[in-house]
Amino acid sequence: MRKIISIVLLSIIAIGIILSIAEIPFGKPKMKVGKYYIDKGVKDTGATNIITSVVVNYRGFDTLGEVTVLFIAAVGVGAVLVTAEKKQKERVTEKASLVLSTGCRFLFPLILLLGAYIFVNGHLTPGGGFQGGAVIASAFLLFYMGCRWKRINKIKAQALESLGGLVFIITGLLGLIIGNYFMMNFLPKGIPNQLFSAGIIPVIYIALGCKVGSELAGVIDNMIEESE
Amino acid sequence: MADPESTSDNKLRSILYMFLFLYLIWLCLSASLHYQELLAGIFFCLLLTIFLHRQYYSLGLPPLTIKRFVFFIIYLVVLFNEIVRANIDVAYRVIHPKMPIKPGIIVISTKLKQDIAKMILANSITLTPGTFTLDIIEDKFLVHWINVQTEDIEEATRIIGEKFEKYLRVIFE
Repeated sequence: MRKIISIVLLSIIAIGIILSIAEIPFGKPKMKVGKYYIDKGVKDTGATNIITSVVVNYRGFDTLGEVTVLFIAAVGVGAVLVTAEKKQKERVTEKASLVLSTGCRFLFPLILLLGAYIFVNGHLTPGGGFQGGAVIASAFLLFYMGCRWKRINKIKAQALESLGGLVFIITGLLGLIIGNYFMMNFLPKGIPNQLFSAGIIPVIYIALGCKVGSELAGVIDNMIEESE
Repeated sequence: MADPESTSDNKLRSILYMFLFLYLIWLCLSASLHYQELLAGIFFCLLLTIFLHRQYYSLGLPPLTIKRFVFFIIYLVVLFNEIVRANIDVAYRVIHPKMPIKPGIIVISTKLKQDIAKMILANSITLTPGTFTLDIIEDKFLVHWINVQTEDIEEATRIIGEKFEKYLRVIFE
């Protein structure tokens, strides 16, 4: 008896779910704005990567907010680690093996170059400022693991980070001054699929890459300092 | 190893060398010969070279000559050959009903001086199945060997390291 009731109940639920799912038109663009981006994206922004044109151009203001969130997170990590009580006992760190430290020194510039490539070509290929910045920060993480005696210059990193943020905001404000809205694409759009195209998008992505990279590297630096 | 008699000529060479190396990587990444990509590549490679050339110089990368390049290609072939042979050897030991293994850690020595040369040798030993570099201390390698044939340093060096080292010595000296 219980089994029959449970089967009946399950069938009712299953029918309900099937009916509600059948209403959703899968594979058909429902949002007009999404269709607009796909149709007009390249013409409007000059960026062949539609995701970039949305992230940096159509919704550039939103990206500014995301950058701010990341900045606050980095500041928060720094603040928590500074106020946390320093442990009395000194932790002994073993020096990394020669294989690791040499490999790190060899690979470090190559990873930085890959990060730069990713954020410079953000408007043409998958990737962009955030991804490139994360790759750059990973280079610093590897470097810290392999060569523990070396440190990044914190003041320079912070200066680079501030510069990145400033370039982003000033580019946006210039759009407001020259054009009529924040982050207007006031630079020439060029020919799509070339490196120097898409107006302000590469500028903003380079600024973002520097900012995200130095910010995350600073977080790593803070954490490593705390662990020692 | 940092060369004590590093002249400005040497320095210039190392800068140029690192720049060309990075530029080659950039060309592979961008896969395009459009002048804009080339210009951006020059800019970023130059930036990285200016900031990091000292560190690269201390790695001990050798100056590029045709002879070294040819030996490097030969080295890759030798390494591939050794990997295949060692794979078959280890597979034989695994499949064999008696499992003829005799694992242990031995010490081998090397005459290579540059950090990068030692790293390549250590990674080559690790890449060939059956041997695994645990650590490098000065000019001694700690190697885990699946079938320890000898515990003598000289003998073990001859069996494990020499087949790679003779090429690396030509490349790096």
